[in-house]
Amino acid sequence: MDKPSKLLIVDDDEEIQSTLKDFLIKKGYEVFSASDGLEGLKLLETEEPGFDLVITDLVMPNISGVGLIAIIKKKFPGLPVIAITGWGEHPEALASEVQADQVLEKPFGLSELEKSLKKLLSSKFDI
Amino acid sequence: MPPPLIGSSKSIEKIREFIDHIADTGLNVLITGESGVGKEVVAQSLYYKSQRKNKPFIKVNCAALPEGLLESELFGYERGAFTGAVQSKRGKFELAHQGVIFLDEIGDMPRPLQAKLLRVLQSGEFAPLGSEKEVTADAWVIASTNQNLGENVKKGLFREDLYYRLNIIKIYIPPLRNRPEDIPTLIDYFIEKYASQFDRNKISKPDADAMEKLMAYSWPGNVRELQSILQSSMVIGNWEEVVDDLSIKDKPDVNSAPDHKGLDKSLIVDTLFDLKNENSPGHASFSLKKIRKETMNIIDKEVISYVLNQTGWNRTKASKILQISYKTLLYKISDLDIKQQREL
Repeated sequence: MDKPSKLLIVDDDEEIQSTLKDFLIKKGYEVFSASDGLEGLKLLETEEPGFDLVITDLVMPNISGVGLIAIIKKKFPGLPVIAITGWGEHPEALASEVQADQVLEKPFGLSELEKSLKKLLSSKFDI
Repeated sequence: MPPPLIGSSKSIEKIREFIDHIADTGLNVLITGESGVGKEVVAQSLYYKSQRKNKPFIKVNCAALPEGLLESELFGYERGAFTGAVQSKRGKFELAHQGVIFLDEIGDMPRPLQAKLLRVLQSGEFAPLGSEKEVTADAWVIASTNQNLGENVKKGLFREDLYYRLNIIKIYIPPLRNRPEDIPTLIDYFIEKYASQFDRNKISKPDADAMEKLMAYSWPGNVRELQSILQSSMVIGNWEEVVDDLSIKDKPDVNSAPDHKGLDKSLIVDTLFDLKNENSPGHASFSLKKIRKETMNIIDKEVISYVLNQTGWNRTKASKILQISYKTLLYKISDLDIKQQREL
């Protein structure tokens, strides 16, 4: 049996965080979560072995999702990131600029998220 | 020497920890908080912790200059760009190359200049006034404001794209009245700092009574106000007079603001008496269970309201502090009818 992929969800909205977490655990992933950018960054810096993929909201207190993605791409190159963004927020252009691998706009279907996830994880392990 | 970020409150400790994590990212930072909370101190702490510490730290106050002057100050000008420009001058962005440019009171930057700033943030390039050549500067942008930029965006006063670009990392410094535990530490620090300027014999620490009053004061001018009050206490050489002055200043606030310092014991006692009457032995039952439940509700409501107000109604944070689940907190808010107090 393969080891499950290890995911990090960063979202300050507790409900979204727990919905995503429950869904992804059911799908067989190992899931960690954080409610802001700093908490997420600390997990990224300390968790061993490291994560296989990060899902982050864009608008959050302290380190925004855009900031977190920029830090990830510098400190953990090769770690894929899915950015999720709320209705009425417009930092998507920035998310692409800092090279988020995928930007999903809320509301999105959980199956859509799973599809993106599988695609990014398979291309990660292909290298 | 960097000015230290003084305080032992959770929020200041968190800011210190935060600075350690982000000082080397070079990502734009927006520092928010009321006037006098120490936004520049945080900006300097970031600078001194970063690898840019041996390069320039340039501060520009965006509220202090009219638009044209601010533009030439930030981006520089060529000789002959305008009447009186007898020689060219380098702008602050260029001077801050490889260092930090601290844009204080960014909320006051006029909209046309916001467009030019946005371009610098996107590409690092700009043209000095009267110049056709682009200049490149690698300056780490740390901005600060006491305004609510999100609101300014809604009102059309601040560009949304610039807002998101500045807001990549946000540091909020709470007002001093929300972290009174920092007051004794700050007083110790300032006394030590000014000791050399004043007669040592005149410097005394406030006694317990004065300290209590100092900690209860609302500090509308925050740390800056505390600093100036300390200076005057050193000149006067007597805390009593200084503290009495503060109490007079604060009177209207004390009367109108609800007291969240502690539980209102008399209210609890009154309620208990009400319950007791209702459940008096003369009645059919005297339900200890009911009294206990009512009392717990009163305490729950007080404590939850207090924590919510302290966290600016951040329910996630509040649930963590209270060590209850987020869902339980939401349930309690609705069940106990806890309402958010609008700030004046």
